Amino acid sequence: MSTENCKDCETSEESSARLERIYEYLDGALSREDIEEVQSHLQACPECASDYDLECLIRSSVRRSCVERAPETLKVTIIERISQIRVEAGHE
Amino acid sequence: MTGGDVVILGMTAAVLTPTRDHAVRVDSYAMTERTAKTAAPVAEEIDVAEETDAARRARFEREALQYLDQLYSAAMRMTRNPQDAEDLVQEAYTKAYSAFHQYKPGTNLKAWLYRILTNTYINIYRKKQRQPQQANTDTVEDWQMAQAAEHTSTGLRSAEAEALDHLPDSDVKNALQQIPEEFRLAVYFSDVEGFAYKEIAEILNIPIGTVMSRLHRGRKLLRSLLADYARERGFNRGEGK
Repeated sequence: MSTENCKDCETSEESSARLERIYEYLDGALSREDIEEVQSHLQACPECASDYDLECLIRSSVRRSCVERAPETLKVTIIERISQIRVEAGHE
Repeated sequence: MTGGDVVILGMTAAVLTPTRDHAVRVDSYAMTERTAKTAAPVAEEIDVAEETDAARRARFEREALQYLDQLYSAAMRMTRNPQDAEDLVQEAYTKAYSAFHQYKPGTNLKAWLYRILTNTYINIYRKKQRQPQQANTDTVEDWQMAQAAEHTSTGLRSAEAEALDHLPDSDVKNALQQIPEEFRLAVYFSDVEGFAYKEIAEILNIPIGTVMSRLHRGRKLLRSLLADYARERGFNRGEGK
């Protein structure tokens, strides 16, 4: 990811590849060297920096929206069910 | 828009994935250690074979049931309704308990439970639904992918981002729900649960390369769908809607 070719990021094909790189960066899937490369590219390319910001925003929205609390009764039901399994297994 | 002010972490989300996305550009090295950090700390040596039923059950309740809310949240994204989600989680925990002697203490319990949850879902609920989802995936995906590719190069981003920040949870859930299931689960496991590619591969029982391609496609779809919702909300703002 060189910093000089930012115009490439404006074409949709290149932009798609850059976006994948940003995903991997955020996923913690890049090597130390690649991380530095992405970081310096993000400093230099507003296009990708904006994609990066949007991706962070999407992820935090998804996390925020997907938090559910299990009903109180569910834990009780599970404990009851597994205690029956223990009894059955003991009789085998 | 700067990098700092768009990273909004709800309290619960921060608790769920403490090692992620604080990192932003400053200390992303920490993220490379994500796999290590999501693994459970090395437990004291437990002789699983010698353990009494009572001790095993106590250990299960202590260690496995702490993930109840998380498994339930995932089950909600799978089944789409509270009753089925409850049944699924119950079934998964029952299976997990029955197989708990096979779980190796000190390895990643959360990932192990997610794998059981996913298998249970695939075996029971997907069969029950009998929806021709799989068959339609390619068709849906092609046009959506084309649309997604366009979105990445539109100039609407900051306005979209602004609206996206204020999207109700229901819109985000709906967008997620519109993504074909195999992509949705990968995205959920990565973005919500913070599992590493390798862990997702184990949970879904697919190669890492497949995980990556599902994530890439799923995220682009999600981005495109969320942009649609955001645009809709943005346009409707101030019109009394």
